[in-house]
Amino acid sequence: MSKSRFVSLPLALLLIVSAASAQTDPGVQSASRGTGATIISPSNDPNGFTAFFNDGFNRFREIEAVSNSANNGLGPRFNSNQCSSCHAQPAMGGSGAAVNPQFLLISSGVAPDNTMPSFITANGPTLEARAPFFLNSSGEANTAAPNGGVEDLFTVAGRSDAGNCNLAQPNFAAYLAANDLIFRIPTPTFGAGLIENLDDSTLLANRAKNLSNTLGISGTFNRSGNDGTITRFGWKAQNKSLHMFAGEAYNVEMGISNELFPQDRPLPEEEQAAGLPSSCLNLSGTGYPEDTSNPSQTNAAVLDDVSAFANFMRFLAPPPPGSVVLNGSQVPAGLIAAGSALFSSIGCAACHNPSPGTTQLSNFVPALSNVQVNAYSDLEIHNMGTRLADNVSQGSAGGDQFRTAPLWGLGQRIFLLHDGRTTNLYTAIEDHKSTRSEATTVINNFNKLTSAQQQELLDFLRSL
Amino acid sequence: MNLYFLSLVVLSASLLAAGQTPSLNSGSSVESSNKHQSLPKVPAESILVKGAWSSASDSMIPVPEAATVSEGVFSDPYFGISYKLPQDWSQEYEGPPASENGRYVLAQIGPPKTRDGPDSASMLITAQDMFFTPLPAANAVELTEYLKHHLQADYKVEIAPTSAKIADRSFSFFAYWSPVAELHWYVVAIQIRCHVVQFVMTSRDTKLLDHLLGLNNMKLPAGVSATRGDGGGPVPVCINDYARDENVITRIDPVFTARRFNPVPVRIIIDKQGKIKHIHFISAFPDQAKAISDALEQWKFKPYAIDGKPVEVETGILFGRARQTRAPRASGPAGQ
Repeated sequence: MSKSRFVSLPLALLLIVSAASAQTDPGVQSASRGTGATIISPSNDPNGFTAFFNDGFNRFREIEAVSNSANNGLGPRFNSNQCSSCHAQPAMGGSGAAVNPQFLLISSGVAPDNTMPSFITANGPTLEARAPFFLNSSGEANTAAPNGGVEDLFTVAGRSDAGNCNLAQPNFAAYLAANDLIFRIPTPTFGAGLIENLDDSTLLANRAKNLSNTLGISGTFNRSGNDGTITRFGWKAQNKSLHMFAGEAYNVEMGISNELFPQDRPLPEEEQAAGLPSSCLNLSGTGYPEDTSNPSQTNAAVLDDVSAFANFMRFLAPPPPGSVVLNGSQVPAGLIAAGSALFSSIGCAACHNPSPGTTQLSNFVPALSNVQVNAYSDLEIHNMGTRLADNVSQGSAGGDQFRTAPLWGLGQRIFLLHDGRTTNLYTAIEDHKSTRSEATTVINNFNKLTSAQQQELLDFLRSL
Repeated sequence: MNLYFLSLVVLSASLLAAGQTPSLNSGSSVESSNKHQSLPKVPAESILVKGAWSSASDSMIPVPEAATVSEGVFSDPYFGISYKLPQDWSQEYEGPPASENGRYVLAQIGPPKTRDGPDSASMLITAQDMFFTPLPAANAVELTEYLKHHLQADYKVEIAPTSAKIADRSFSFFAYWSPVAELHWYVVAIQIRCHVVQFVMTSRDTKLLDHLLGLNNMKLPAGVSATRGDGGGPVPVCINDYARDENVITRIDPVFTARRFNPVPVRIIIDKQGKIKHIHFISAFPDQAKAISDALEQWKFKPYAIDGKPVEVETGILFGRARQTRAPRASGPAGQ
């Protein structure tokens, strides 16, 4: 293969050294790429949705309380008290930050009478925990009784605004002893409005084009149990829309009931028994749902929080790609392009499709209409094998099936894979290969590349 | 293998004659849940909670996915394939479950991990059930043609589709490569029991691929080729869409209790009397498999005969979501 590229001498030396040694993940790219801006052009916003984006932006960062504040309804169980605390990197709406805000919730008085779970660390990933199976009375994992629901980390116990609600946290030590606890990190939401606006026919056609691949890959779609159409948000593509995504998160992650999920949510094991105790119901004192629309307000503020959150995410622009710095030097654009071609040639793009298609006409804003969606995902769910399996079923996705994670924005992601188990891109790639994974052959192809080619591929990924 | 198969047929027939239906082992969303209600610990790196998965009405009759790689030999009793691997080669990881389009990953094999790297080669063995493929192809030649005509822009044709003699059988052969990745793919395919079995070899080194292609270490059933492999002899005759109305005397539709909207491809073997002998749920949730088996056990078909002699028939039925219309076939004559 001949490559006619101009490479300066020092850089050429650096590349030779790089080729001789193991490939290096360039890591999180710190230079601002402008991620977190809205997709709406104020000059082309005939319906006035800019105000809705701004309203959603403000509500997304509001701190929620249990009662006696402007923002009530938190708990009785929760993982955090603010959307933006978890969706923070590299900008509001993203994934988990370098400093885990959950680690500070006890010391800051948000969850005073709680014990910090052992898996929540100061600089580790922001996490949601789920137990794949219920435990029996002996503390063993009852594999005949799948659970899979979120085990919220904290309770409102000890808060001055939480009355007599004195719930205990889940018995994480018991779940950990039974190896019965899995984790999820926040999914970034940049460009989510474009993903939402892809018609099913586009995704189906995209899938049909890929059926003759020689990689052993055959994905499927998760579908709504209500209307049978393709669902597309969340790690297993279990949520149909941004409304549903926001409503579920408000209820599950913050314990705030809303128009989509009108009850306070107990833990799965509480739901199997008697539900929440009466001392922990209606803590806000205003009844249910805690989040409603606001008829007394005007303009965008009349919306309920869930709708405002959905609007914020819907109108977030996709994360812009950018240049890549490796070991203090900027990677030449030609090498990034070569990495892109390699990514496609070895089969990564069979699932991480650079563009699954073009959006349909949007009734919100022109900026969401007829746009190519460079998400690097087919939005299908794929069997990812034993190494990534979490034994949680959501919709029609089984315990080892995951949505192809969109890779746009990867250059500024800190924690990788669904559970944030690694910060190293190379490790994340290799973890795609295991028993029952559809990706094994592609990873075999990756391993046939030279170190220099693998480096180009890693560099490319950090440009996204 | 023939004796083995005959003994299975005799055993199945004796069970049916005694008024027993083959026991249903339609799988479970939780693997081995019958054996283990509780475990002290959830086993690491295990898939206990499954989505749609393959299962069968009995464990005696071979199914496509039951391929093994053991002691240097790939074998698949369903297809009657035995393939002696190159020296030291083995399978590190089994493939994913069969897809809802009837695609199987039978094996992923290669040299030891210590030799993994730019100098290595690997082989992917897949099967496509031609009853359920959405692709506009009816046999291995047409499927290979389709592959060639739909190559992504990243690849270039190295050897246009042609025929190749392997193990004294006529395979379809096609080679392409990626100039950027400097990787080459050799694809050989043959039709067996209405499936296209595909061997995909990948390496940077075409000499290594030529060597792999030239190894005379495969055994195959009689009467198979790139354009024809319709069963018969010791295995059932496979007939597309045999379960059409004119052949079904009694039909009971299954009722699914959960709404999942997934297609459920099912292969059945109909015995010489027209009763269901074997059900293979290629991709189904356990409740779907149960509903289908409850219904199918009541079906009655017209017996199928060749030259007046009753034979067993293998065919496919798609339950659940309706099949999509197939795309037009690849242009150009087959084999070009």
